[in-house]
Amino acid sequence: MSDFFNANLVLVQSTLTGLLLALSIQVPLRMGVFSFAGAGSYGIGAYATGILVLRYEMDALPAIALTALGTAVIGLLLGALISRLGGLYLAMATVAFDLIISVIAINGGELTGASTGLFGIITDFTTGQMFVLTVAVLALVAMSEVGRLGRRVDTVRDDPELAASMGINVRRYRLAAFVVSGALGGLAGGMNVLVRSTVGPLDIGFGLIVLALTMIIVGGSRSWKGALIGAVIFTWLPDLLTVIGEWQELVYGVIVAVAAIFLPRGIYGVLQDGTRWVQRVRRDRRAAARGGPVVDADGGLRPQEDEAAVLVAQAAEQPVRELDQLSGRTQGAP
Amino acid sequence: MLTVTDLHVAYGKIEAVRGVGLSVDQGKITLVLGANGAGKSTTLKAIAGMVPAQRGSVVLDGAEVLGQAPHRLVRRGLALVPEGRRVFGPLTVAENLRMGGYTAGKKVLEQTLDRVYDTFPILAERRNGAAGLLSGGEQQMLAFGRALMSQPKVMLMDEPSMGLAPVVVDSILAGVRQMADDGIGILMVEQNAEAGLDLADDVVAVARGEVVYTGASGDARNHASVLRAFLGEAALAGKGA
Repeated sequence: MSDFFNANLVLVQSTLTGLLLALSIQVPLRMGVFSFAGAGSYGIGAYATGILVLRYEMDALPAIALTALGTAVIGLLLGALISRLGGLYLAMATVAFDLIISVIAINGGELTGASTGLFGIITDFTTGQMFVLTVAVLALVAMSEVGRLGRRVDTVRDDPELAASMGINVRRYRLAAFVVSGALGGLAGGMNVLVRSTVGPLDIGFGLIVLALTMIIVGGSRSWKGALIGAVIFTWLPDLLTVIGEWQELVYGVIVAVAAIFLPRGIYGVLQDGTRWVQRVRRDRRAAARGGPVVDADGGLRPQEDEAAVLVAQAAEQPVRELDQLSGRTQGAP
Repeated sequence: MLTVTDLHVAYGKIEAVRGVGLSVDQGKITLVLGANGAGKSTTLKAIAGMVPAQRGSVVLDGAEVLGQAPHRLVRRGLALVPEGRRVFGPLTVAENLRMGGYTAGKKVLEQTLDRVYDTFPILAERRNGAAGLLSGGEQQMLAFGRALMSQPKVMLMDEPSMGLAPVVVDSILAGVRQMADDGIGILMVEQNAEAGLDLADDVVAVARGEVVYTGASGDARNHASVLRAFLGEAALAGKGA
């Protein structure tokens, strides 16, 4: 295990930064904010951490903390400026933000090392610290997907007008999306530069948006688990595909196309459907073995509310059918 | 309770609402009638803070509230039930209702929840069922219940009977009456003028963004401008011939 770990250290580290980068784009998307600013924050984070360590001789952890705070504030300012925009216009504005960051990096002269970038950023930052930071952040993101907060986030995304008429401050949630995205992107960039010890203009830029979106679309866009699956696949796949040489770009493209067309909820969505299907088959089998009713008393479908309710329903030998067949999340006129 | 005066709303250069004035009293239902495009929904949205108004005044409980963000108005006791029921299908009835109680504390939330179940017993029966599996009428009651969860003083409703079977419309409108009898002031936009006139206390007829009639609902039926407002010129022409 530790041999494997050491041999693939670079890939393990890349998985962690890839995951945070993917989350920095996924979190705003989950709130209905079509923002790619996370990629720009990644660039700022990488350079800021590098400069703090090189020029100001800061230690790894304070430099990372300062960087994440800084990119969060930049996210807030950016959000205040453009969060009123919607859809495609917002996306374009954030892409422009990312491109501006790249331009600044190239033209930053001595501060950013111009086209050669920064190198020799050496600290005592360990992969262990990196892992702990990533898991902590992941836990916070996961908390925003469940319970009251999770439902509010869903409402803000699916029906902002309804959310506002229920007393939810939609603008604050949209701003929060920019702040969280900024902090996540900055953290990813900062950690990456600390383990790689260099950063150049080619490491940041438009390619990051494509990478993050690929991870989210193939992995699953509605949950951090999807981002994790995507980050693992697209960090390790290029390495495995080196055998087929120049064909790997093609395989890459086919995977993304297939996922986009056939797996609208990503691989995580397929796994979810799979586990539900297995549960249902088992339940039906148990019900059949005892000769119990297969359709519940009032012949209606029952929703899958939470695990407790599922257990109750199982105990009563009533099949719990999912609500995926219901059209859309909100019922009634859009 | 809610007084709107000289409200002006424009989308770009097009003035959708031109000087609308109306009032809603506690326990009373004010009905807004008008043909398509007359500015009914825009009026409602401007009062609720969903679209910005050019000028005018909206006074809620003695305080000027025009221009405030919608979520603030909810806290001040103004709830909007938007057009089309918009319940969250995969969530249960209870979860949908809890979402409406966003502004309330936990203890108050449970009490309000019980009151909503009292008002709409069908929601209590289906509380653990998915909202998406309710009938259209039940979903509309859920939308009412969700608005009630914020403990409003005034409720704005945009076409609560839209797309419902006639027999269901009656029970929905009975629900509206009951909410008014519980002391809430209701401002309702309704296409179903016949049923609406039976229910409402006061009527405001709107045509081309202007108020053409204000008065008690009983008198409204005989008034030519009301007919014109919600049936168009053709109705009067037909009557004259």
